[in-house]
Parts: sequence; C-alpha cells; structure tokens
Amino acid sequence: MNLQLKHIAIIAVLLIAIIASTTLVLNNNNTINVRATTTTSLYATGLLDYLGTEYHKQHTDTIINFIAVGSGEALKRAERGDACMVLVHAPSLEKEYIDKGIITYHKIFAYNYFIIVGPQDDPANISNATSLEDAMKRIYMAGEKGKALFISRGDNSGTHVKELQLWAQAGLDPQNKEWYLESGQGMGETLVIASEKHAYTLSDIGTYLKYKKDGRIPSLTILYSNDTALINIYSAYIVSSCPEQEKAKAQGFIDFLVSPEGQQLIANYGIDKYGQPLFYPAQDKLDELEEIWNQIAGNS
Amino acid sequence: MSELASIVLRSIVISGTATILASAWSIPLAYLLSGSYRLRHIAYLLEALVGIPTVLVGLLLYMLLSNAGPLGFLQLLYTPQAIITGEALLITPLITAVSYQTLKETRTKYTELALSLGATQQQVAGLVISQSLPSLLASIVMGYSRAIGELGVALIVGGNIKGLTRTITTSIALYTAMGEYENAIKLGLVLVVLTIGVSLLVRLVKRKWDID
Repeated sequence: MNLQLKHIAIIAVLLIAIIASTTLVLNNNNTINVRATTTTSLYATGLLDYLGTEYHKQHTDTIINFIAVGSGEALKRAERGDACMVLVHAPSLEKEYIDKGIITYHKIFAYNYFIIVGPQDDPANISNATSLEDAMKRIYMAGEKGKALFISRGDNSGTHVKELQLWAQAGLDPQNKEWYLESGQGMGETLVIASEKHAYTLSDIGTYLKYKKDGRIPSLTILYSNDTALINIYSAYIVSSCPEQEKAKAQGFIDFLVSPEGQQLIANYGIDKYGQPLFYPAQDKLDELEEIWNQIAGNS
Repeated sequence: MSELASIVLRSIVISGTATILASAWSIPLAYLLSGSYRLRHIAYLLEALVGIPTVLVGLLLYMLLSNAGPLGFLQLLYTPQAIITGEALLITPLITAVSYQTLKETRTKYTELALSLGATQQQVAGLVISQSLPSLLASIVMGYSRAIGELGVALIVGGNIKGLTRTITTSIALYTAMGEYENAIKLGLVLVVLTIGVSLLVRLVKRKWDID
C-alpha cells in the first residue's frame, strides 16, 4: 500500500511540474495583453498584425491579442466581457451595443468600399445598372429566371449585415430562394465559392484585391462599385466592462490608430503588394464618414 | 525561433499536456470501470461520447470560461491552459473507452488464474496493467492524435491569438481564410508527420517491449 501511495505522490508531483512548466513556457507575464475582437476582413488582410507590431515597437509593455471573428460575434463577445477593444464594420449593429452601454469611445479609423463582384459574362447585366437598387433588382430577376446565383455570407458579419440592408432598401427578399446560397464562412472562402460557382456576391474591396492578386478567384470581376452607399466604415471601440489597466492600454492603441502616424500606416498598407491601398485613412473626411455612419446606423 | 516553429512547438506542448492530463484520470477510471459490473453503463456512455464534436466541447467550455460564465473569474479564456483543459476533456471518453476494452479483456484472462495462484489484489492490478500496457499506450496515442488534430476547442476558447494560442490547426484555418493555401498545406503536412511519427515511435517501443 505504501508503494502505491508513493507512486500516486510521484505522479501528482510530475503532473504539477508539467502544468507549472507549460504555464511558464506558454504565457508571457511581463506584458499586458489587450483582448481585441475584430472583424475577419481587417485581420485576414494582415493590416491588424502590421499595426499591432508597429505599436508594440513603441510600447513594449503592451501586446494586442487579436481574436478574429465576424463583427456580430466580436460584439457579442464584448457583451459577455470577453474583449476589451472591438474593431468592427457594422454601424447598425454597433448602434445597438452603444445604446446598451456595452461599448464606448467610438473612433472611425478607416474606410473602404464594398463592391459587387460576379462572373465576367455578367448574366444579370449589373455593370449597366443605373443605381445600387437597380443592381440588386437585376440580380434578383436573373436569379428568378435561373440565370444567376448569389452567395451570401450568412454569418452576421459586417458584410452580411450590409448585404441584407441592400436587399431591404431595394424592397426585395431573397431568403429561401433557390439561387440565394448562404456560405456561413469568412469573406475569402465566400469569394472562392462565388468564383467556383460563377455567382455574384458582396465583398469588401480589401479581401477581394488580396484574393484576386493571389489568383484564387479567376472567374470573378468587379461589376458594381464607386457608390457612396457602398462605403464600408471601420470603427474602434472600448468595452465598458474592461478592467482599468487593460482599458488604458486599449485606449492607447485606439489613439494610435487615429493619430497621424497610425493613419499614415493604414494609408500605405498593401500598396507595395497590391498596387493600391486596401484601406483609406479616415482623417481626410471624418465629418462625411460620421454622417454616413449615422445614416447607416439609423436606417435599420 | 521562427513563427512556424513556435506554432508547431506550441501545438505539441498543448496537446501533449492535454494527453498526459487526460491519461492520468482516464486510465485509472477505465481500470475502476473494468472491475465493476455495476459501473459498466458509465463505460458505455463514455464509448458513445468518443466522437463528441470538438466545436461543441469548445462552445460549452467557452460558455463556462467566459467572463459572463460561472468560471469567468479564473481568467482562463484565450490562454493555452483553456485549450489544454478543453482537449483533455475532449479525449477523455476516447482514452477511457479504449483502455476499458483492453483492461477488461486482460482481467477476464488473468484475474482468476492469478488469484488461484495466491496473488494479492495489488499483484493482480500490477499484472493486469503490465499485460495491457501496449494497448494502453495505443489508446494514449489515439488521444494525442485527436487532440493535436482538433480545431473547434483551440479556435473557440483559444482565439487563435498570434504568439499565444495559435496552434497548427488554427493556423491552417487562418491561412485558408487568407487564401494562402501553400502555407496551409505545409502546416497540414507537419501535422500528418507529427501524428504518424508518434504512432511509429510507439510501435517501435512496443516491438522492443515484446522482444524483451
């Protein structure tokens, strides 16, 4: 019996040693980690890691932990107290959480455009659409005739919220139509599905350019763009429930994002690789962006 | 250390720790269950849970560890420890069920014989365990393979944070989302090599054992 007890004791000590050593190996205790839930489009383009690294160079005591999920989930996690900072692009959803007092310190830091992409032969002929509503109607009509498919994100992301808004504004309801497919995946995966199935979809320009450049979506082309109604506004927030120390660091990062230096980094990101910027800094036209943000947030 | 190497190392440490933890309670549990007719239903239940979806374990654990959840005060969310806990829970039914089968067979084979030759209960336990050891090892390897290859738990409770909770599988998911399929495939191959490597290693150890 003594022997058995001794074995159990040895095993217990070993287990504790293993757990303690993994804690040391895996955790970084000297710095403050700021938990930031973000939209996938910001993260998958590499912009956030780039900004986070630049920020860390100047503030070595802070590491921003980006957790890339859709805008809907990013806000939901904030509500549950599992994030200190939120970077999202769904004004109408954001408004709900601002009203509930869950997020504060709203700063618009970047924007770009949504685009409607589709097959090169454009069976719905939306490249000749006279307005955004007309474009949505053309896709709807072509879909009903069996000539076109539309892939929706279907994941409560910022892009998905925008897409639902576009259908609603055109007075159409594509839900449960045979030609309307919900991928339930990120923007990149959805673009690949659209390319494979020769379908239409709504995308942010950043993800589209990255995928196009890498040759992942050969059959897709931009068919409708350059409409102020398709502006895509990225905002940063502090989560109210966040502990003070972490909150101060999060605030520091958001201030960095909207500082001239941060805005310059955003403006230049991706030019060397894609030939044009993926995001535009918000500082040049902040008033206009705020007005548009209010419109989108209020409309739903 | 390059980022790729640190991701691979992190994955091995996380799933390895999870496997050691899970084995530490699963095999004694399996031994206990194999000796009791009354407890066999627990074994059947665990057997049924072998294929439990990883996303479900991840989601349930997230609800528990979230700041709004009952265990939020532990501050474990988005840490490697959270992934370790989740993976350990995930592979518990697998290791227990497989160990249970082999321990039960060995028990039926040897217990009465050993007792009739005058062995004590402890000696019987030692005999049964040592006779089952190769198969127990195999059950541990299965657990490890499932742990290192799972995505749901690591993504939901780990958050795929660069330099902290990014594992091989969450990196593959991220690279796929970024359209960088080459990197995704490279990591996929590493994962396959890791699982095959460990099971080859165990096979070698087993063979050595059988010869000795």
